[in-house]
Amino acid sequence: MKTAHEIRPGNVIMLDGSPWVVQKTETTRSGRNAAIVKLKLKNVLLDSGTEQTFKGEDKLDDIILERLDCTYSYFADPMYVFMDEEYNQYDVEADNLGDAADYIIDGMEDVCQVTFYEGKAISVELPVHIVREVIYTEPSARGDTSGKVMKPATITGGGTVTVADFVKVGDKIEIDTRTGEFKKRV
Amino acid sequence: MSVNNSNPLHHHWDIFCTVVDNYGDIGVTWRLAKQLVAEYDIPINLWVDDLLSFSHILPMLDPHKSKQIFNSVNIFQWNNPLDIEFTAGNVIIEAFACELPSQIKSIINQLHQPPLSQAPTWLNLEYLSAENWVEGCHGLPSSQPSGVKKWFYFPGFTPKTGGLICERELFNQRDEWQADSTHKLALFKKLGLQGINAEDTVISIFSYETPALAALCELWQASQTPIHALIPKGRSLHSLTSILPCDIKDLIPGQQFTIGNLTLHILPMTDQNGFDRLLWSCDFNIVRGEDSFLRAQWAAKPFIWHIYPQEDDYHLVKLQAFMQIYCDNLAPEIATTWSEVNLAFNQGNTNAVVMHWQQLHSVNLSLMQHAIEWPINALNEADLASRLVQFVNNS
Repeated sequence: MKTAHEIRPGNVIMLDGSPWVVQKTETTRSGRNAAIVKLKLKNVLLDSGTEQTFKGEDKLDDIILERLDCTYSYFADPMYVFMDEEYNQYDVEADNLGDAADYIIDGMEDVCQVTFYEGKAISVELPVHIVREVIYTEPSARGDTSGKVMKPATITGGGTVTVADFVKVGDKIEIDTRTGEFKKRV
Repeated sequence: MSVNNSNPLHHHWDIFCTVVDNYGDIGVTWRLAKQLVAEYDIPINLWVDDLLSFSHILPMLDPHKSKQIFNSVNIFQWNNPLDIEFTAGNVIIEAFACELPSQIKSIINQLHQPPLSQAPTWLNLEYLSAENWVEGCHGLPSSQPSGVKKWFYFPGFTPKTGGLICERELFNQRDEWQADSTHKLALFKKLGLQGINAEDTVISIFSYETPALAALCELWQASQTPIHALIPKGRSLHSLTSILPCDIKDLIPGQQFTIGNLTLHILPMTDQNGFDRLLWSCDFNIVRGEDSFLRAQWAAKPFIWHIYPQEDDYHLVKLQAFMQIYCDNLAPEIATTWSEVNLAFNQGNTNAVVMHWQQLHSVNLSLMQHAIEWPINALNEADLASRLVQFVNNS
């Protein structure tokens, strides 16, 4: 069991007797610091989707499925193709990557975990922390160095991350793939 | 505790509330309970874990009685484990994400299973927020391990949220009250507040602790015209110890102190109707939390919202979200001034709050007009209770 707060895109959870792959998580804060977690889910068996909301501390039944360490190989619309150490290829539907798709780039070396259900690759989990290059962001507005002033930045692959104001084009930044948060400049 | 499930799903609703901050959570749930009974004829059982705090806003309540009825609402002492017979009704609401007693969850699960397969509609009534994400989370299910679905119900300021608590006749009552200045003077007299003239500026204060309050009081002392600050015994006063002539514990309702042109009045506690009328009677209200925050908006008077502080200053995100929605139709200079006052107050920035308060004078008429127009816009044609009843009927 995991708390809703710990669930990540790519996890598979049992709800109402069916396995659901988590495509997207969105954590927000309600009153008095309580976390609210919204999950975008896809039913592995029926291919249908839903959204549900949980308290951050709610326990969810994540199921342990077969997983393999793989690296990203190429994109063949609408499938992302991953490869294991033995050069076996696995196709994963783009929808099942959720927000993780924002971090998939050609030539990436990050080791991802491909999850299988009854022999079919159904989702991919990225490493918790990845490093990407900033390809566009506005110059620092106030010369802030505290890290408290934030601004949007486009990273390689086209995704957008909210970064500290001191981050510049060409900087490499560490991102938490669970939350999409900027962690630090590396 | 015994459980009566022979006739599942009675017509009534159960609302569970844990008191966290004295008057906020119970304030909201008590208003909702009263409204559901009065306007929708729904029998309500209100389960509260702290009747003593509840009695501060419902003075007739006996904190030592485990069952009592006020405004046709059945009020129960909620002990854990539950020691009063519980019969499931149509709806169970856990207010502000409080945790239902395990016995209640077990009953819900039993009713969900065949052959009954008829669990009550289970709702988590969340905190009010103006943030954008609320629309995306409102009304979503939350599958529990037993297979029962709980629904997240988010109050909010837009048509795609759960709405705002507002009684059907509230605005008419307010308008009648504010049309005649003798009402406010009579109220002040009833509350034991002396020396307030009809043209004096009157400000109610119901905030958390902040140095911004002391800074404002210092400013008001030097005002050209008389200012009366009305403060109940409680957290606001902890910020004013330097100007109080005695210890807070020795203060009594009705006591007043004049420093320059500022008179501080110690307010007695009042019930919710009395609090509404107090807000309607003041020229400006400083409010906190959720319940008084909303009632200050319905008072159609300018206000400062002292939001409940959260970790990492996250409350400022919520404050900004509300300020943005509140200022949507305001001229930029008015919006900026009002927002800066609110921000400075919440950040405890004494210099900024004084500076921006002084700027409020130049935009006061427009701000007052906006405060009058805001309530109808904020309601978006349907209040929380009506949307809630509709939601339950559709679920």
